[in-house]
Amino acid sequence: MVVGAINDGGILYGLLAVGAGLATGLAGIGAGVGEQGIGAAVVGVVAEEPGFLGKGLFLMLLPETLIIFGLAVSLILMFAWTPFA
Amino acid sequence: MLRPVKMSRVVVAGSKDVLPPVIEKLHELRLLHIVNYNGSQPEFELGKPIGKAREYSEDLIKLRSVARYLDIKNKAPDVTYPDSQVISQLDTLLNSVGDDVTSTFERIVQIDADVKVKQDQINAMRPLAILPLDLDDYYGYESLSVFVGTVASAVDADVARVSPNSKVFSGSSKNATLTAVFAPAAQAGEVAAVLAEHGYSEISVPKLEGSVDSAIATLEGQIKSLEGEKGPAVKKLQDMKKQYEDMFLAADEYLSIQTQKAEAPLRFAETANAFVVDGWVPTTDLAKLKSEIESAAGGHIEVQVLDDNEAENLVEGGEDVPTKINNPAIVRPYELITRLFAIPEYKEFDPSLLIFVFFPIFFGMILGDIGYGLMTMLVLVGLKKKFRTPGWQQLINIVMIASVWAIIFGALFGEIFGPLGLWGKVIGQLPEHEIEALKAAGLYFGEGVYGPLGRLGPMGMLPMDRLATNAVLMLIGISIFIGVLHCSVGSILGIKTELNYGEKKHAYFERLPVLLFQVFFSLLLLGLILGNMVLVGAGGLVIVVSLVMMVMGPEGPMGLAHVPFYVSNLISYLRLLAIGLASVGLAFAANQLAFYVIMPMLSGGATESSEFTIPAIIVGILVLTVVHFINMLLGILSPFMHPLRLHYVEMFTKFYSAHGGGVEYSPFGHVRRYLKA
Repeated sequence: MVVGAINDGGILYGLLAVGAGLATGLAGIGAGVGEQGIGAAVVGVVAEEPGFLGKGLFLMLLPETLIIFGLAVSLILMFAWTPFA
Repeated sequence: MLRPVKMSRVVVAGSKDVLPPVIEKLHELRLLHIVNYNGSQPEFELGKPIGKAREYSEDLIKLRSVARYLDIKNKAPDVTYPDSQVISQLDTLLNSVGDDVTSTFERIVQIDADVKVKQDQINAMRPLAILPLDLDDYYGYESLSVFVGTVASAVDADVARVSPNSKVFSGSSKNATLTAVFAPAAQAGEVAAVLAEHGYSEISVPKLEGSVDSAIATLEGQIKSLEGEKGPAVKKLQDMKKQYEDMFLAADEYLSIQTQKAEAPLRFAETANAFVVDGWVPTTDLAKLKSEIESAAGGHIEVQVLDDNEAENLVEGGEDVPTKINNPAIVRPYELITRLFAIPEYKEFDPSLLIFVFFPIFFGMILGDIGYGLMTMLVLVGLKKKFRTPGWQQLINIVMIASVWAIIFGALFGEIFGPLGLWGKVIGQLPEHEIEALKAAGLYFGEGVYGPLGRLGPMGMLPMDRLATNAVLMLIGISIFIGVLHCSVGSILGIKTELNYGEKKHAYFERLPVLLFQVFFSLLLLGLILGNMVLVGAGGLVIVVSLVMMVMGPEGPMGLAHVPFYVSNLISYLRLLAIGLASVGLAFAANQLAFYVIMPMLSGGATESSEFTIPAIIVGILVLTVVHFINMLLGILSPFMHPLRLHYVEMFTKFYSAHGGGVEYSPFGHVRRYLKA
């Protein structure tokens, strides 16, 4: 039955979608955890010295690439990798 | 454009007799970026202020305090005044107008304080109304101590126990029990202790006369008359503000200019009979500066230009060359993004032009919707009239130029408030057989049609529905390609910057390998996708070469630690596709919800658009508007932030600000805003 279910495109496609969702979602959590500390520190610095806004933004946006990695994996799963096509 | 304006180092030396006209001329020209003399040479001392420096600064302080009372802030000028008018009115402004404003303002402050005192008295007295005593009963005794306040429980019995001769008045309101105890002064201590046990909390009774109710009525009458007086006073200040606002700003500017001129010698070097000014001037304006100063000083001055070697020595000794950014008017708004990060150093590139080229394209590629683009444009045209300060104007111009690109990409993507294909279905223009044929041929890029024009471009790719699989795959490729291009431009500028600083090793073994690595890494990926082994082999070979170069670079083997960063740089450009997908997805969902869920449901299961009932259409359009509005707000914010990141993180790290920020060129002088030039 299990073999039959895996061979069935429907379930496999469902699992792919779940995997894609997890890839983006978990990467998003990771990026958020990374950004929280930086964000707080940047707000502190900018309150003291507004001229640091640009550099603060730079630091704050660094971990954001993480979620793009997750998204790249999702896109490949959903659009590029089609084992049952 | 890409480089800051070339500067020359000048030394101006002259007789002290011509100091005032020279300062006047320098201020008027606004060309010389003065290098402050730090007093390090024993032959020269620091200059002293000339003229009425002290008087001007005292006037300025007084003027600003009056302006603060009138709540005058910097704003775009409505009228400008000539200097002569300001000078003639300055005395009036500072004295009669100033005194009038000050006394009116102080009166308002006094009224507010009085009203507050009276209000506090009323609040304190109000509970006393339940006791059968007049206000003058509470004070004026020599042998009696008076306790007035709230208590938690009845105190009569306990007070009588410690002080039989005392008199207790009590009353209850709905919140608390009020007690007034009159005890002989000798037993005050015992009574206080007893009261404390009952949770006594004192009320301070104001020293007034008559019954509590009449006293409250009197105070309320007084408050009313005080407030009656305050109204006209506030109105008077508002009228005065309206009348004198521009004059005050002009006077402030006039006094600032005078103070600046009078205090200028503090930045000069001086001997007993001469002065010396060091500074930087744009090379193109050198001749003008020289001839103008010489004619102003009547020849008693020497303007000397240092040659490049001497200037270079000074820079190595720690002097900063000021950076004057110079861009055409259309690029100028994008200087805001550069400045937000850092001012370029004199030898660095000014990236504003590159931001002008790439930023709007990125914004447009992400937003990519004719409807959203037009709406953004309309809103900004309105905002532009409202927010007239330079900062806001720059920001608005940035987004305005970008939204033109959003409209262009909207046409390529076939989106007007969501994918055009859906609209085509709603208004019944969709040729089903054509879609089936395209799907069968594997060339299906979405359902969009341009009315009778049909599909355009190579293989009928346009309009490219971003939600279709083929379009997503194609846009992944395009995004990475743009990324390689963007990063390569950054790397090339990085190599040139390092060469400008004379750092050959950094240029060829730190910047160049990054360029090679990123370009050939993407070629290798392309080769893998196309199955072209020649491309894979060439890519792999050059990557190995670039890695070897990194190891030979200034950081040694540690240079390899950055390799993951260079790979993630390229992947990062996927956001150009990804953020756009999110926004087009939401727009698609909004349309789907309105046309395929809400409207059919509310019209009792009708599926054809001609069968929808009027209320169903109204509710549907309402939902459509709300969701599109939210999507548009998000859709302006993220297409702004993410390209910003792509510039700051992915591009600037390749060439910008590696040598620390620069100093902005700020020539001696003053921009006249409120005074006639």
